[in-house]
Amino acid sequence: MEDKPKTPSAEETGGLKLCELGQEVVIPAGSRVVSQGETPEFFYVIQSGRLRVFRETADRIQTNLTELGPGAYFGEVALVTGQPRSASVETLTEARLIKVSQVEFDRLLDQNPKLARHIINQLANWLVTGDSRLEKEVVHQVKLRQISWFDYALMVGLSIIFGVVFNLYNDNKIPLIYGWGEKADIREITLSNAEELYKQNQAIFIDARKSAFFDQKHLKGAMNLPLILFDLMYPMFQFTLEQTPGAKDKTTIVYGGSFSRRFDIELARLLKSKGLDKVAVLGDYSGWQKAFPVEERPPKEGASISLGLAGLLEWLPLSIFLLILIPPIRRSPYLAVAGRLLLGAIFISFALSKILRPAVFALNTVDYGMMPSFGVNLWALALPWAELVVGLFLVLGIRTRAAATLIGAMNVIFIVGLVWAILHHLPINCGCVGEVGEPVNWWKVLKNTGMLVMTIQIFLYDRFFVLDRGGFTLRDRTI
Amino acid sequence: MKTNFLKLAAVLGLIMFWLVLGGCGESRSPFAGTYRSLEPFAGKNFAELELKENGKGTWTLAGKTMAEFTWVVNDGKPWFYLKTGGILIATPTEGGKVLSVDTTGDWHPGCPPGSCVLFKRVQKGG
Repeated sequence: MEDKPKTPSAEETGGLKLCELGQEVVIPAGSRVVSQGETPEFFYVIQSGRLRVFRETADRIQTNLTELGPGAYFGEVALVTGQPRSASVETLTEARLIKVSQVEFDRLLDQNPKLARHIINQLANWLVTGDSRLEKEVVHQVKLRQISWFDYALMVGLSIIFGVVFNLYNDNKIPLIYGWGEKADIREITLSNAEELYKQNQAIFIDARKSAFFDQKHLKGAMNLPLILFDLMYPMFQFTLEQTPGAKDKTTIVYGGSFSRRFDIELARLLKSKGLDKVAVLGDYSGWQKAFPVEERPPKEGASISLGLAGLLEWLPLSIFLLILIPPIRRSPYLAVAGRLLLGAIFISFALSKILRPAVFALNTVDYGMMPSFGVNLWALALPWAELVVGLFLVLGIRTRAAATLIGAMNVIFIVGLVWAILHHLPINCGCVGEVGEPVNWWKVLKNTGMLVMTIQIFLYDRFFVLDRGGFTLRDRTI
Repeated sequence: MKTNFLKLAAVLGLIMFWLVLGGCGESRSPFAGTYRSLEPFAGKNFAELELKENGKGTWTLAGKTMAEFTWVVNDGKPWFYLKTGGILIATPTEGGKVLSVDTTGDWHPGCPPGSCVLFKRVQKGG
């Protein structure tokens, strides 16, 4: 085999014409003439037609080595080395070949030193160019498998930049860091003082959380004024206060029950701005549950809206648990491509449902009670863009290993959040899609785990249809 | 290589198409208009709700704008998105002429006493 085939001349073969040896055979297009790994028996010279030389791995990944045309020959390597065939040869068109047996081939070499030298020369050339090809391929593979900090910085950086810039022009913009630069102008009241006022009926307790949290458990006698509906609900609240005897003289104590203190402090500020003088927040944000009598109701069923196509797609990653049990499929680069398209579609779709309204997503994040107040808005601005950017990288096949790592990391965070919410019986929706999304349950955890496994499979086996440092790689590779 | 770029362009085109398609929701026309509460709100004047075709909306009380919001129609119900992140879901009755707004922000909107405002349409379109 060689790149520029040339039929050995009669002079090179010591006066013998190859066509005088062996037998002529006609092979139809698409037939395999020589199979990789088989014991060699013949040497072939091509009279007409085109043939493809390729190698194939156990999981049927083919690498094209070269194409041969009239005048070229093949099959000599295995006959000379005595090793099994190192590659397969298949006809691309109908081919007319001269088939020379090993005995005839050996006799030819024994009697014709010129021909032997010619073949040795060809083999040596082939080895030299083979080394060069091998080096090129190794470099390509190294580049392909390489992950640098730049990949992560690129994706995370793009997400933050897009999130921040988009927020500048978004009608529903939110501050980058919640409460940044605001003075701590709200008095805190200790749990024991609040308890004293409660016993003396000298305080009005306001629950600033969403109604679902209030319904689940609240301080007995407290009123619910959800911060997120303050503008609309304040007139009603004011009206209720006016109807309550002695309300003006009482201290208004706001509690939120949230680690981020997002609701209570902001609500207290708003109440103060409306002219209420004696406003305080409860110092221990979660202590009221033990210190005060509470009213509890069984949690309501989690609400959800139809997620459409994305909702259906989200079930597909569960199939990975079956697919990874089958070794050839587990390692299949085609499965990795399918996984990339699926995860990309899911994450792009979920991102788009959140990008326009970061405030809603920020409050959904607050509901989990796992993130300090200063980080919530930045998270709410950047995460949907990260989902979009990384999703696009996966679909387009750009930096797929790094993209898969980031999607996997996001899934780990989501799984931790979901398990936390389930164990703490939080009356929330996952907030994964738009404003409502799906209920938080173990199915949701399983779906995310499926996606996590998919990212691992992509990380390990993805190599087709990728645009990476080594260039664009399609299914079959010619080296 | 040119073919590969064409394939990439095709994928990008499909994604853009999907994004544009995803941005289109249900028509707002059936609910666009001006509504007035059936009873005085919070012991004061009647509350007014204006839902414009372009997706903007206002909630006014005694001539004062209490909230500006954007709105869409999901599953046959108008959803009001407040800038604070709150969402109110209105339940239409009488063919959309009356909207029952649960102000608790419950995802399963009902009409709890003290937290439910019934609006009747006084003018269609917006």
